[in-house]
Amino acid sequence: MLNFNVDFTGEFFAFFLLAACAIVGAVLAINFTKVVHMALSLAFTFVSLAGLYVLLQAEFVAFVQVLLYVGAVTILMIFGIMMTKHQSEGREPGRPLLETLAAIGCLCLFGILFYAIRNASFPKPQAELPEDNTMAIGKLLYSAYAIPFELVSVLLTVAFIGAVALAKREKEEEEEPK
Amino acid sequence: MDITFAQYAWFAPLFPLAAFAILTAMGRGLGRAGAWVATAASLLSFLLSLLIAIERLGGTAEDYTGRIEWLRAGSIMLHAGYEVTNLTSLMLVIVTFVALLVNLYSIGYMKDDERISVFFGYVALFTASMLGLVLADNLLTLYICWELVGVCSFLLIGFWFRKPEARAAAKKAFIVTRIGDLGLLLAILLLYWNMPNHALDFTSLYNVFHSQSDTLSASLTTLIALLIFLGAVGKSGQFPLHVWLPDAMEGPTPISALIHAATMVAAGVYLVVRTFDIFEASQAALAAVAIVGAFTAIFAAVIGLAQNDIKRVLAYSTVSQLGYMMLALGAGSTAAATFHLFTHAFFKALLFLAAGSVIHAIHTQDIREMGGLGRRMKITAWTFGIGALALSGIPPFSGFWSKDAVLAAALDESPWLFAVGVVAAFFTALYMARLFFLVFFGAPRGDAKAYAHAKKSPAVMTVPLVILAVLALLAGFVETPWNEWLGSWLSGEEEEGGINGLVVIASVGASLLGLYLGWLFYGRRSSSGNPAAEKASGLRRILERKFYVDELYELAFVRPLAALGRGLDAFDRVVVDGAVRLAGRSVQAAGKLNTRLLNGQIQAYALCALLGAVLLILAIAGRRFW
Amino acid sequence: MTMLGSYLTLAAVLFCLGLYGVLTKRNAIIVLLSIELMLNAVNLNLVAFAKYGINASLRGQVFSLFTMTVAAAEAAVGIAVLISLYRRRATVNVDEYDELRR
Repeated sequence: MLNFNVDFTGEFFAFFLLAACAIVGAVLAINFTKVVHMALSLAFTFVSLAGLYVLLQAEFVAFVQVLLYVGAVTILMIFGIMMTKHQSEGREPGRPLLETLAAIGCLCLFGILFYAIRNASFPKPQAELPEDNTMAIGKLLYSAYAIPFELVSVLLTVAFIGAVALAKREKEEEEEPK
Repeated sequence: MDITFAQYAWFAPLFPLAAFAILTAMGRGLGRAGAWVATAASLLSFLLSLLIAIERLGGTAEDYTGRIEWLRAGSIMLHAGYEVTNLTSLMLVIVTFVALLVNLYSIGYMKDDERISVFFGYVALFTASMLGLVLADNLLTLYICWELVGVCSFLLIGFWFRKPEARAAAKKAFIVTRIGDLGLLLAILLLYWNMPNHALDFTSLYNVFHSQSDTLSASLTTLIALLIFLGAVGKSGQFPLHVWLPDAMEGPTPISALIHAATMVAAGVYLVVRTFDIFEASQAALAAVAIVGAFTAIFAAVIGLAQNDIKRVLAYSTVSQLGYMMLALGAGSTAAATFHLFTHAFFKALLFLAAGSVIHAIHTQDIREMGGLGRRMKITAWTFGIGALALSGIPPFSGFWSKDAVLAAALDESPWLFAVGVVAAFFTALYMARLFFLVFFGAPRGDAKAYAHAKKSPAVMTVPLVILAVLALLAGFVETPWNEWLGSWLSGEEEEGGINGLVVIASVGASLLGLYLGWLFYGRRSSSGNPAAEKASGLRRILERKFYVDELYELAFVRPLAALGRGLDAFDRVVVDGAVRLAGRSVQAAGKLNTRLLNGQIQAYALCALLGAVLLILAIAGRRFW
Repeated sequence: MTMLGSYLTLAAVLFCLGLYGVLTKRNAIIVLLSIELMLNAVNLNLVAFAKYGINASLRGQVFSLFTMTVAAAEAAVGIAVLISLYRRRATVNVDEYDELRR
């Protein structure tokens, strides 16, 4: 069942390398004890994923991935880490029941997904992607997806205002602790 | 003659039932007023019964049956209904009359009891269920009321439940009569399956068992009759199920009167009379009834000789008299049995109420501590004497006529039964003489202070005594050997009368001999104040222990059953309870796991959601593969 | 197994790792990051289908862009909520946030 009868092309090697990087980053993120290390290894995973996007002929998405995840989200998280105190992971007693059950659940889920993927038949794609997909995406966003695009911009605005409002230090609250 | 009152017969049990409902609803707050409510209800029932009876006395009234469809399940249909015949109207009058007097008497007797309204509620329910039993037009309705009577007797015998003896007696009465009830239930079930159309009403029974058609085989008929008789044996205290009746004396004395005269024990005899068509179809069953009745009559009378509790003596006399009734039934004479039931109701109620009056006055039930009460309590002594003479069968008291009828019926059947009856009559007279002389004559032997305080009972207690005494004197004249009015009224046929000289001479002779011997032993000697003259011989000890029947039952049934019960109890505790506890513990463990999981932390909830989703996917996707 | 299958398997692996992180990590910030990882796994699926799916087109990529935007907004709000919570409870440990029980 596990015979990966794929052609050993350059694309496959690149995929294999990047996939290994992504998985290693994720596994390390789970196994590290220091929070900053975790965040950084996840950033490594995000970068690997950007590479995979390039492999998938989605250069624009890969670019956004690097900007957004590696640039913005990870930095945001690191700021969050800096603003809060942290005992390093692993000092406290573990939660064996929770961890065991979570592991079992995740493995089962993966088993199901893997089984489904193995059994699905994927027909050959009928069309090729356009060469200059950044331009094509721009055209799509401003024509077919104009309304969702605008809505997403509103969502972003609301989210940022909300984040500011939430994180703002409230004077009254400081004075009368609840 | 128009039927006017008979169709309202179902009101008769309704009045006491309503009284019971009121008393139960109002609770103890009603206090003594409750007594009057119950008494008023029983008065109404009595008046209605009297009207019905008078209506029927014309002799032309048709039997009236009213019934409703009670429940229907598929093809099975059950009816509930009532039937008014001459027999039921007679029974109605007896029951309501005795109930009325008992109610009146109890107002005086129970006035210091704080649960008086509860008591009257029970009495009302007791009366209502007995009336329902009398009126029932089919066996099923009868059986329901029959069980209700049993429950009420349980409640009332155990009324003073703080006394352990009363508790034990109530339990005993309930359990012993249940054996009989089981027999009756089986009989009803057998009838239900074998009767055409599953009919259980008495009219159908009459038709089936008189038509000589082979609807039911002879052996089946005998079996059914014997099972019904088992029910009657239980309720009417026949040997070998008589043991509960003397113990039932632990209840309040008016209840003893009610049980013995009108309700509980009469139910058994009434049942046999009502289903006599079945018995007539089986010679073997009739013979069994006669033999059990005769044996019980003499057996109980002999035991009664040696009892020292005034109420127990009367209780054994009831057992003995019920034996007479069964003897008459076995001899094929329902008229004699009903007649004896009729007169017995009056003089036995009289005796019990008079005994209650004595007990009320000096607060003891032991006749060895009594004596000389005749001078103090004239009315009680006189009425008790009348009752005793009636019970002994001395002419012209009512007991003479009815006992005469029973003995005549027995002589027709077999001289042996007759002989047993005469001997039992002798013993009856003997123990009644003993009782009477020990209680009312001679010098007081008990506590002098109690004797000095003994006073006349209040009018509300003595008036019922006088009424009953008059009836005990006169009730016998409704059926004399030269005017068999009652018998022909009951059966609807003319019966030819005639005096059987042998019967009269034998029974009166036996009774007089018994009375004379009783006077000889107890009347004279106790005047010298020496009751200890009764030597404790071996026979006497056996009699005092009531032929060791209770001990035998203890050994043969109670202990093995108790052991079995303990075994089952252990099984219940270990296995059944264990299973229950296991279920409980596992749920508890699941609950504990749950509280550990659902501890308010979002991750635990998310984990549950994940596991649930996995299971859901497995269930949905996996269905394809099996 | 085609390339598409490999991509999908990789996405499943990343998704499950992210899920495990969400379920077991005590630090709320890591939990948020794990959620980002799960979202990325989904994005990878979208992009992979955009190339190798039966109707290859740019729509999958457009959709993944939207997802990223939402994820960015989610991360911003999440961090804000976390900081607000931290001010009250002086901890970022998820297992000490048991308000749901109250």
